[in-house]
Amino acid sequence: MTAGIAGPEALGSMDDEPQLEDPNSDNSKEISGKSPMQIALSRLARDKIAVVCALVVLFFIICAVFAGVISKLFGVSLESGLASQYVDGLNSGLPKPEMGPPNGPFTWDHPMGVAPRTGDDNMAYWLYGCRVSLMISTGATMFASIVGISIGLLAGFLGGAVDKILSFFIDMFLTIPFLLAALTIAPILSERFNTSDNYATIQMISLVTVLSIFGWMGIARLIRGEVLSLREREFVQAARVMGMPTSRILVKELLPNLAAPIIISISLMLPAFVALEAGLAFLGIGVTSGISWGQIILKASNPTFFREYPQYLLQPMLGIVALVLSLNLLGDAIRDALDPKTRR
Amino acid sequence: MKRNKPLALVAGAALLTLAACGGGSSGDGDAGKDRKYADQEGGTKDETRQGPATAVDGAEQGGTITVYLPGDPGPNTLDPTAGWSVTGNSIQQALTSRSLTQYSRDDKGQPVLVPDLATDLGSHNDDFTEWTFTIRDDAKWEDGKPVTAEEVAFGICRSLDSEAFPSGAGTEYSKSYFEGADDYQGPYTGKDPECKKWSGISVSGQDVTIKMATPFPDMDYWGSFMAMGAAPLGKASQPPNYGNQPLANGPYRVESFRPNEELTLVKNEQWAGDSDPARHQYADGWVFKFNQDQAKVDEIMLSGNSDSQAALSSSLGSDKYAGSNEELGDRLVQQTSQCVSTIAPDYTKITDINVRKALAYAYPYEDVWISGGEVPGVTRIPANSVMPPGMAGKKDFQVDGEQITYDPEKSKELLAEAGYGDKPYQITMIYYEVDPLAKAAQDQVTKGFEAGGFSVKAIPVQVSPYDIWLDKDNKVNKQLNLRGVNWCSDWPAGSTMLPPLLKANAVYNTAQFDESSVNDRMLEISTLPLDEQASAWGDLDEKIMTEYFPVIPTAFRNDLFVFGEKIGNPTGDGSIGAPNYKDLFVKK
Repeated sequence: MTAGIAGPEALGSMDDEPQLEDPNSDNSKEISGKSPMQIALSRLARDKIAVVCALVVLFFIICAVFAGVISKLFGVSLESGLASQYVDGLNSGLPKPEMGPPNGPFTWDHPMGVAPRTGDDNMAYWLYGCRVSLMISTGATMFASIVGISIGLLAGFLGGAVDKILSFFIDMFLTIPFLLAALTIAPILSERFNTSDNYATIQMISLVTVLSIFGWMGIARLIRGEVLSLREREFVQAARVMGMPTSRILVKELLPNLAAPIIISISLMLPAFVALEAGLAFLGIGVTSGISWGQIILKASNPTFFREYPQYLLQPMLGIVALVLSLNLLGDAIRDALDPKTRR
Repeated sequence: MKRNKPLALVAGAALLTLAACGGGSSGDGDAGKDRKYADQEGGTKDETRQGPATAVDGAEQGGTITVYLPGDPGPNTLDPTAGWSVTGNSIQQALTSRSLTQYSRDDKGQPVLVPDLATDLGSHNDDFTEWTFTIRDDAKWEDGKPVTAEEVAFGICRSLDSEAFPSGAGTEYSKSYFEGADDYQGPYTGKDPECKKWSGISVSGQDVTIKMATPFPDMDYWGSFMAMGAAPLGKASQPPNYGNQPLANGPYRVESFRPNEELTLVKNEQWAGDSDPARHQYADGWVFKFNQDQAKVDEIMLSGNSDSQAALSSSLGSDKYAGSNEELGDRLVQQTSQCVSTIAPDYTKITDINVRKALAYAYPYEDVWISGGEVPGVTRIPANSVMPPGMAGKKDFQVDGEQITYDPEKSKELLAEAGYGDKPYQITMIYYEVDPLAKAAQDQVTKGFEAGGFSVKAIPVQVSPYDIWLDKDNKVNKQLNLRGVNWCSDWPAGSTMLPPLLKANAVYNTAQFDESSVNDRMLEISTLPLDEQASAWGDLDEKIMTEYFPVIPTAFRNDLFVFGEKIGNPTGDGSIGAPNYKDLFVKK
């Protein structure tokens, strides 16, 4: 009898359903009292990958912020003597045996070894490279998201001619090939400021500018789309009817509802900028002071050095890979946690 | 001759290159692995040498030779009159473009000046103001027509057009020595397409006679430049188009040329071996690949695969030297290139000789070489003066009694002596930011100078430093008090080293050095009897260095060439510091 067989099965599956609790019990009060952000955070905390990634990112942030202190702790610094004290010019410019690997035993004087040809301390350059990388990517992310969010909000909410004009600019910037533009702009900026005493700082600022000029369009489009759907919702209409000024509607009514997409796109922009910064430095159009993971990779990407002294290339590579990967995974996890439609 | 070899490195190199370090102490720098290199000498002359060229032992016909030129952009134009770079001239003079005279490599590796389009090395009157070359009648263009004396005269006439060929060697030599050159603007700028208005040259039968404004005993050497060769009359050789596909009269002709990328040469069937005393036509063709990546080329050359067997590379990365020195054996050739790298304190701004000497003591020679990607004692050796080792008349003196090496304490003493002891002396210089090696070398220079009591402002530039140094109106250039030049001799005589670098207002005199006694002496030397000139240049070299010390020679330069397994007769050409293209062949 088919019905008889189906009956117990249906019953059994129903047994798996969570038991409905009494809405007035302590347990359910706790749940209902959570804000959306608290729910997201508790979801995040339960995500093992997210926790590990957050720890890794925290490690890099500590390295970046306390680069000077950590360097001092290990007795290393960016300042070093002349190259011939550290490296052997007749042996491919590789470090001398007393400087540690690859030709000698590990030494605490240079925990991560010294660079071939120049004798720069790898650890100090790694730590400060981390700082440069995070400073530039954070800076660029901040500027790009501020510009992107403002333009997206205005375009989406005001609509009409303003939307048309702003959307045109978004599309126009999207058509400019980033690498070509960066390759063109970087030398012009460098030449304009090359006699300045603060050249290194100016170079970083111009890099942040270039990165953010070409990085705001994605978030602007996203926000514009969200605002287009939100602005017809009842609470916005109500606010309008009440005579709220546009600025207040934008900031107080719309922005809080956009927190999720903003956090998500920021968390995904950050790793993209870290990778871009390194890529530009590798191409020689980013930071040229040498204190940059991309620049170290450029110097280390020489077949001889890689064969004889792979650590030199692997150190900055590991830095970039670990940072970008954990930022990306963390970004994904945040997206999942903030999205009420996903189930974990 | 300008060394634009690794453009980047020059950048670097100029400032960063060279000079004195504790390593090798003599010209035959021992490479540390029992590799000995012959001293380069100035060479000899053989005016009776006639074609065909002596066959190379075991030479075989056929095959195509690929030449990799890492970091070397190569010539922008192939016009023989416009060429004045080591790369371009070495290729074209050996393979495509014949001139009045040429060099042949003797058994000991020394260059011998032998006839080429002329039947001998030219005859001159007693005071070297009139030279006559008899043009041979059996040389042919690639289209089968004979090379005529009129065409040679026209080619020589073209070298006077410094508007059409601003970077040509004629601007230095033809313009300074040929009679009436000052008033003659050249066949193109002067609207004189048949070169009739210049009276300095006359053709009679096969004889071409050139009159000189001042005595020019080195005309036979100048004749070895491709600018002193034939050019088709009239429109056929109109610049700039002629530079893309010049008519060849050497053993090879240009099949295709993409500037900064690739030059392909194929056999010139019309070339008559009997008419040429030094060139060969063993290989079927040549492919020159410019602007190659050093690391990539090193991997190809060391891999021994089919790509590398019939190939050669014009340099070897310093990171490969230690590992491949033994393995390569004869296939690795070190060639002295008769070049000097200098840094040049501005003579008008740094007026105290003690400050210039302090700079020399504060320059960390060996560190700059290492971080700039050179091998100390091998590709760079310490220098004592401007004239390179082996040049006739070169004196083995030391400015301060012994080789100047890095000694920051001595530098501080000298600065104190000059009255700058209390605060750092400001040095403003530029470096080529695009090349990380140049930047790394600049860091070493900065460290050395600062330890020696200077403060350094290093300005990053995005273009070749020569573009800044040679541009008198450049606002960055006006701030500089330290510049530099890498200079190679055009022929083995002091007259191609000292005047181009140290004569007042010479283009490459980036030190702005101007002492009337030196200027006068330079003019005077060219009027001396020929056999006294060499030692006179040597004496002047010593006098300039000890009395004025206007430039700091940081190194003499050597090149490393890597030859593939199937390249026969792997040798270098000592006359120009390039692979010996004339005598190479492919082994079966």
